Amino acid sequence: MILMLPVLAEASFNQFAVVGVLLLIAIVFGVGNLVISKLMGPSREGPIKGLVYESGMNPITPARRRFNVRFYVVAMTFLVFDVEIVFLYPWATTFPSLAQDSPLNVLFLGRMLFFVLTTVIAFLYAWRKGVFRYD
Amino acid sequence: MSVMADKLAGVWPEITLGLGACVCMALGLAKASSTRKLTSWVAGLFLLLSGVLAIAGPQPTSGLILPPQMVLYVKLAVVAVGVVLLLVAAQLPSSWRATHRAEEGIEPFDPANVMRGEFFAFFLFSLAGVMLTTTANDLVWLFLSLELVSLPTYVMVATSQDRIRAQESAVKYFFLGALAVAVFLYGFTLIYGATGFTDLSRVQSAAATTTSPLLTLGIVLAIVGISFKIAAVPMHFYTADVYQGAATPVTAFLAFVPKTAGFVAIIILLSMLPQWPTHGPIMWLLWIMAALTMTVGNVMGLLQTSVKRTLAYSSIAHSGYLLVGLLAGPALLTSGGGGSGAIGNGIAAVLFYLVAYALSTIGAFAVLGCVQVDGHEADSFDDISGLSTKHPGLAAVMLVCVLSLVGLPPLLGFIGKIYLFGSAMAHRGENPAFVWLVVVAVLNSAVSAVYYLRIIGACYFGKPSGRTEPQHCPSRRIAALVCGIAVVVMGVAGNRLVTLARESSQLAQPSQQTPAKVVSDELPTDIHGG
Amino acid sequence: MNPVFDISLHHFLIVSFALAGAGVATILTKRNAIGILIGVELLLNAAGVNFIAFNKFLWHNTTSTSTGLDGMVFTIFIIVVAAAEAAVALAIFLNFYNNFSTVDVEKADELKG
Repeated sequence: MILMLPVLAEASFNQFAVVGVLLLIAIVFGVGNLVISKLMGPSREGPIKGLVYESGMNPITPARRRFNVRFYVVAMTFLVFDVEIVFLYPWATTFPSLAQDSPLNVLFLGRMLFFVLTTVIAFLYAWRKGVFRYD
Repeated sequence: MSVMADKLAGVWPEITLGLGACVCMALGLAKASSTRKLTSWVAGLFLLLSGVLAIAGPQPTSGLILPPQMVLYVKLAVVAVGVVLLLVAAQLPSSWRATHRAEEGIEPFDPANVMRGEFFAFFLFSLAGVMLTTTANDLVWLFLSLELVSLPTYVMVATSQDRIRAQESAVKYFFLGALAVAVFLYGFTLIYGATGFTDLSRVQSAAATTTSPLLTLGIVLAIVGISFKIAAVPMHFYTADVYQGAATPVTAFLAFVPKTAGFVAIIILLSMLPQWPTHGPIMWLLWIMAALTMTVGNVMGLLQTSVKRTLAYSSIAHSGYLLVGLLAGPALLTSGGGGSGAIGNGIAAVLFYLVAYALSTIGAFAVLGCVQVDGHEADSFDDISGLSTKHPGLAAVMLVCVLSLVGLPPLLGFIGKIYLFGSAMAHRGENPAFVWLVVVAVLNSAVSAVYYLRIIGACYFGKPSGRTEPQHCPSRRIAALVCGIAVVVMGVAGNRLVTLARESSQLAQPSQQTPAKVVSDELPTDIHGG
Repeated sequence: MNPVFDISLHHFLIVSFALAGAGVATILTKRNAIGILIGVELLLNAAGVNFIAFNKFLWHNTTSTSTGLDGMVFTIFIIVVAAAEAAVALAIFLNFYNNFSTVDVEKADELKG
């Protein structure tokens, strides 16, 4: 029923013409600007001109520094709350469609509050573990 | 409300384990060292409680794919073997530097460094995952429960000992594990694409009418992905490194828990098909997997210098034997629904052998864990050399367990192998290729005896090295003893157990089960029709 | 407004297949642990794309909400599990980095046999 290979053969590539034109415009615009500024602009070289920031700010350290390890720990904790939203979102889209006086209202709200509560427990655990301690 | 209660009816043991895990985590952060040391006891308590709930608690009335007796059997097996595993692992956290110092009062207690609670919490979570796998009735459920089995084990391996090799093996374990998850998940998407449902009973009824190659491809991909959990051939590469790198109690854990979950998941997936695959691509996939798995395991097992690696390859080989039983499938319909003949029901043989293998191999690992060499757990053949002169009891347990792994009568492993290979032979009428598989399996068993006898030879005839010292782990000795006794006693009185396993596996033939009623407006529309 | 061209199920499947291929290629060729993790995420997302596409095209004129959203729900769970896996992976790598001072997985070769 569904095999993917024959599709490429039967798909007419004219369908993709629009995408091709868009790509072409993008490339021409980008390359064109570079070429034009190279041709028409004045070219001066020098140590000040070659600095990283044209605003005159002097760079103090290399850009590629290691982040402190604690940022990774914070990132992991952030994931807990980030993922919680994924579940809240579909709930939030269906919740308003319940009738005003429906008994399900309290039930639905209670379930979601219970779910949020479990996340709070994870938060408390991380706190006790010292994730949020900066010293 | 009653709908909710009905849905929860089957999962109270799992909920208990989850709660127990949370309690363990909280206890592990307690201020007093004596409170923290209670964690392993609390974990054991919750484990036993979940076992009681599995028997006496509310039973699910509907919505199971596997027969309820089989669900009960697996849950009880998980509890029983889980208790033994807990005995093996109970003193493990005390051997970690930071935890040890905090408990002896050498350093003040710092919650960030002490991981006693987490260890037992992950232990319980993983066991809950296996139980949830058995009650799965939806692809989402199956996926999540398999993940619940695996994710804690990654952390358990990484933190199991203060050695670099533990971390290294955890990285290897995680990568292959993540790849395997993605592969079986991709298989699940194809199953969904072929049938239009994630609900397994609807998948079952839709599969009876469709001839889509997508369904076959999906199940093939899913089995290949799950082969990581059972350490079978396309995904077995991690086994030796991880078994060697992890602390011995965690290794014992890995030899039972993910394997059981994997086999249960494969049984669920195969029961989606209109009939058990005795022909066709899926049958050949399993056939080749079984033959390759046992051959690779046994041949590589011959070449090792580390006992833990040898037992790891033995674990791979045993997955191969188990796949033979899986292939033989449910009971022959000709023998009266399979209830009468003891031999012939491959799934019962698999369920039985999972426990038999677990007890034998956990016993061997527990003995290794009881011996310490230069401050580390015993690993190489030299480390256990001459064990019988210093620790005759431990050596005897090792002897019994390893002989059971070889499959020598009258031990537990022998009965297991008889049922596995016997059921494949009973099904030879359906496909002559089964006979050849049994021939390969028997040859493999003979080859495997060589490296198992090397372990026994080292224990009994090797020169004592003098560097070995006993580990202070009383409960681990108890676990070793329990396994040794169980292997002998259950081997002698094994018939009762086999009957239990057989009764538990009256896998409903998918065609006989009443398919879920598919209302016409709920049928998926044809892809080309829209 | 007319679509420029019809996007069928096949197009989605090809995209997801390409994603999965890119994921497998990344896992097999990268030596950096974080790079491999990205490959794993690609693979999981390929499965997610598949579920969404199948859901959309198999159930596009259904009135039932009881089964018509299965694929979407599955995708949400895939996102969640992917996040959990990433968290576990980061923790393991951090541990690994503290001991090996690198995330190059080929530097880890103590276990052999």
